[in-house]
Amino acid sequence: MNRNILVWDIPTRLFHWLFALSFAIAWLTSERDEWLSVHGFFGYLMLGLLCFRLCWGAVGGYYARFSSFLYNPAEGFRYLRQLAQGKGARYIGHNPAGSQAVYLLLAAGLGVTITGLFTLGGEEQQGAIVGVVSLAAAKIIKEGHGLIAKLMLLLVFGHIVGVLVESWLHKENLPRSMVTGMKNAMENTPTSKPYRGAAVLLSALVILFGGWWFSYALQQPAPLNSKAQVAFVGPQLATDPQWREECGSCHLAFHPNLLPARSWQKMMAEQDKHFGTDLALDVATRKALLNFLTVNAAENSNREAAYKINRSLNAAESPLRITLTPYWVKKHTGIAKAVWNSASVKSKSNCAACHLDAEAGTFEDAAMRIPH
Amino acid sequence: MNRTIVMVTIISGLLVRPVFAQTPVEILASIQKEAGSGAKGFSAARGETFFKTKQGGDMSCSSCHTDNPAATGKHAKTGKAINPLAPSANAERFTDPAKVDKWFKRNCNDVLARVCTPQEKGDFLTYLLTIRG
Repeated sequence: MNRNILVWDIPTRLFHWLFALSFAIAWLTSERDEWLSVHGFFGYLMLGLLCFRLCWGAVGGYYARFSSFLYNPAEGFRYLRQLAQGKGARYIGHNPAGSQAVYLLLAAGLGVTITGLFTLGGEEQQGAIVGVVSLAAAKIIKEGHGLIAKLMLLLVFGHIVGVLVESWLHKENLPRSMVTGMKNAMENTPTSKPYRGAAVLLSALVILFGGWWFSYALQQPAPLNSKAQVAFVGPQLATDPQWREECGSCHLAFHPNLLPARSWQKMMAEQDKHFGTDLALDVATRKALLNFLTVNAAENSNREAAYKINRSLNAAESPLRITLTPYWVKKHTGIAKAVWNSASVKSKSNCAACHLDAEAGTFEDAAMRIPH
Repeated sequence: MNRTIVMVTIISGLLVRPVFAQTPVEILASIQKEAGSGAKGFSAARGETFFKTKQGGDMSCSSCHTDNPAATGKHAKTGKAINPLAPSANAERFTDPAKVDKWFKRNCNDVLARVCTPQEKGDFLTYLLTIRG
């Protein structure tokens, strides 16, 4: 006598769909720097969900426990062979091949989120582990991060193909079971409990985390032209009232970390023909400015833009225009002419038109908005 | 008790009020002194013409400060916003002699490719002082 029983408890289903959603959004938002705050949120969410799932695998519902699907890879392959011959048996919980997908996806999830944390801490000097990884080392870790993400996408496709094949072979709707939790099973088959309390707790934690992550967007004053308001706020960089006054009257006070010290030396030495203007700075002012500029120059900064601008220059070059540095040029190719010519941008020196934190000099990825 | 409140109010009032080194009128007086007794009197009309007319090059004062000195200007090259120039619209203007010297030197050089005469500076400031924000 067959009947409908509960197989997937609510926390397991919540985990499944939130994990899938997080991966999908993190994948899509990896394309552009400006989406880093969203990408980072879903990365942290994935890591949190994984921690939950590992615990739930020990104490959760019957079919969610690892003990209910402890199959080794050989058993997984044997099951795949049987499946190819149309003889794959129907399992109520995870089948031996599906179990491998679960373990591999959990491992890949951990790999991708942990390398993501190190990339964030290294390249952006942001996040939970700031200062552990150098900007130079972050490059390799970032490549690993991308590679694991691609492997994970392949696993996801494998998992989806498996689900479709199984659904077709056993004439049951497996995706629907992951929504309702129910499956048709023989009498005396073990059932799961819904675990409503744990589900409420898990949902509350996810909502609280999301609220906390995105709430500061509402507290910040709305910058010009921006629609999405979520941006990473960088650390407070060195500032100096005299520098702001002298360098910020005619143009944005470009932060010293955007050029190497040798460029600032040249700039101050040639202050009587500063892009066509004689600045007529007195000796004391020149000296004070040069000191601030060189102490905080690109080579002394741990910001991503500073590091990469400096790295892109060869030692013989002392550019006076930030827009002539190879890194700047590379990062700004592909921006449409219409954007450059739009009334709110006009000049390549108008960093603040797109970089919400240009005044602060941090140039965080997530603080960039191309005006429309 | 009451005296304490009065004192605190006065002291905090002093702290809040911006303290300027000089007033625009004092700055104008020192330009007058620089011009000497031989100069003709300063004229707002001449100052206005000077402000709005291109001086040899392709720029005038109004290229950046706009035709209305009480309005927010815009740097002709970089697009950076420039606070109003007229003291009636911007109390900070013409209160720091060093700053006044610096900007006359820089901007006269950019617009006229020379220094401005005391007569030009006096006319200019006289004009700005007639602007009502």
